[in-house]
Amino acid sequence: MFAELMEASVVISVLAATIRIATPVLLAALGELVAERAGVYNMGVEGTMLMGAFTAYLAASASGSLWLGVGAALMTGALASLVFAFLVITLRIEQIVTGLAINLLGSGLTVFWLRAAFADADQTPTIPLFAALPLPGLADLPWIGPVVFQQKALTYVALLAVPAVWFFLFRTRPGLDLRCCGENPKALDIKGHSVAARQYAAVVFGGAMAGLGGAFLTLAASARFVPEITNGRGWLAIVIVIAGMWRPVPVLLATLAFSFLDALQLQIQGIGITVPYQLLLAAPYVFALVVLALRRSHSGAPARLGIAYRREGG
Amino acid sequence: MSRGAFSGWRLEPLADVPLRRRALAAASALTLAALLCGLLFLAAGANPFLAFAALVKGAFGSWRTATETLVKATPLIFTGLAAAVAFRARLWNIGAEGQVFAGAMFAYWVQHGLAGQPMALQLPVVVLGAMAGGALYAALAGVLRTAFRIDEVISTVMLNYIIVYMLSMLLLKGPWSEAGGFFEQTAKVDPGSILPALFPGSRLHLGFLLALAAAFLVQVLITRTPLGYEIRAMGSNLRALQVQGTSTVRIVLVVMALSGLLAGLAGATEVYGVHYRLKSGAVAGYGYAGIVVAILGGLRPWGVVCAAILFGALVNGATYMQIATGVPSALIYAIEAIILLFYLAGWAASGFRLRRAAHVR
Repeated sequence: MFAELMEASVVISVLAATIRIATPVLLAALGELVAERAGVYNMGVEGTMLMGAFTAYLAASASGSLWLGVGAALMTGALASLVFAFLVITLRIEQIVTGLAINLLGSGLTVFWLRAAFADADQTPTIPLFAALPLPGLADLPWIGPVVFQQKALTYVALLAVPAVWFFLFRTRPGLDLRCCGENPKALDIKGHSVAARQYAAVVFGGAMAGLGGAFLTLAASARFVPEITNGRGWLAIVIVIAGMWRPVPVLLATLAFSFLDALQLQIQGIGITVPYQLLLAAPYVFALVVLALRRSHSGAPARLGIAYRREGG
Repeated sequence: MSRGAFSGWRLEPLADVPLRRRALAAASALTLAALLCGLLFLAAGANPFLAFAALVKGAFGSWRTATETLVKATPLIFTGLAAAVAFRARLWNIGAEGQVFAGAMFAYWVQHGLAGQPMALQLPVVVLGAMAGGALYAALAGVLRTAFRIDEVISTVMLNYIIVYMLSMLLLKGPWSEAGGFFEQTAKVDPGSILPALFPGSRLHLGFLLALAAAFLVQVLITRTPLGYEIRAMGSNLRALQVQGTSTVRIVLVVMALSGLLAGLAGATEVYGVHYRLKSGAVAGYGYAGIVVAILGGLRPWGVVCAAILFGALVNGATYMQIATGVPSALIYAIEAIILLFYLAGWAASGFRLRRAAHVR
């Protein structure tokens, strides 16, 4: 078994699959990272991703344009999280409960709409998938070329989003203000800057990223929408933000660790080793619990995470 | 956001919200949710009035359908109580879904060797087994929180995913799969383990009475016992508990186990009262719906019973609605979420008033 897994071609294909599988989770996790840095705990990632995956499929199959699908997913994610933002930032409803409501909405609306829109919901038409986009020059490099530079466009977007989010959060003034919303919103408020406006922006960005992650599932991986296609990826994104200590680069590493597990699982099934496949499918969730147990503390968590800001006397 | 969305207007929080205002908010939230559902009916190409009429007829149209509504409400009462107990203590147990699975699986594990034994032995084994399974699985999340500081929201969700695969492993060419069967399910359970029907000609079973009894006991527990006081205190004034020297670790574990125990019972009623075999489809979905039921019921046991019956009616009526009007019955899952969102918004909004500000800063 190990000899088979260590062959160069197999290693490359597992690593390439790792990067591919990481894409939707990484997009969602980076979005959630920004929202949580602004102090808002959005537990509705799973549902937002699901809605993004669905509208991406719907728009792409109706228009024939995959990029319109991507746009639809971005809009859907942003809209769903705008609703969430209004409920938790303006009305200050419990963030956990509201997030769950968004998940239930995503799961219910997509199944209903799927059955309403397609006569045979179990056999919906497939759409053409995004093709791989080898980057000229880089794609031919040994090892790293086939692993990183022969991916699809959205994967490059996800990978580039890591330094972009890092630069924004830690090297720009608006990024500093945004982190201030999560650490010490009062300081921002006293200076006359709106805490709510920044939190709205962070949450809507997070939702758009989750929607984009969902779009990858239908437009670059499965070619059709099936109910609950996200299958816990939104929740894994939340786990990854904790495991990644609320920092973009560790978040990338945590995502890759989870995805590697998933890629390995596919490979093991592919070469026909007799392990019950359910064990392999449950592995990421068990792994998540183990990782969190080893972390033990929530070091790096924004001080005001999950607590709605209320001005004194207001 | 103390500066309102419209310039010149401000959202002002009210210090004291009268109950009438809350009730009005809840009523208008339900009305708005119904209007939005009407739009979804239109989107599905059906006449909203006919669809609503079919929904009501399917839920309460006859004696038989009305008892069927109570059958559908039974597991929701259990999972609603499970969420209510935990949420009262501000423990976010999202794991009722997995705990229903655990209850059903544990009950089946301890019962299926007893085939042929008298009902007086099998029924208590089923009920106690379900309680133990749910309680243990929830307590696991409690331990993960108290010993490893893992947020219970995350751990319970992970456990929800894990147990679905565990059941599948046991059922698909596993030790519990039906001999010669093609489906992922067990063989039919022994007749002596089935929860007896309450009336001839109806599927309403003993589980419904158990659910009402559970609601009563939870009500007594929360309002009349020291543990109930601790649960309420943990939800409203954690600091006071700590000053008093009460161990929050103990409360977390006890409340999680209690919540899981209630959820586990839903597993028993579905497997031994309705489907007569263990399969994923028999136990899936009740945990998440229970959260909505608990919130709509105001986290109060009798409120939970009422909300569960409302949702049981929706589930039951939706099946008829799909046959009569062609609107997919999956609509009710969207309706549940929409009701929850509007209810939350209405509840929160009733604590504000929109006021024209004399001087805008």
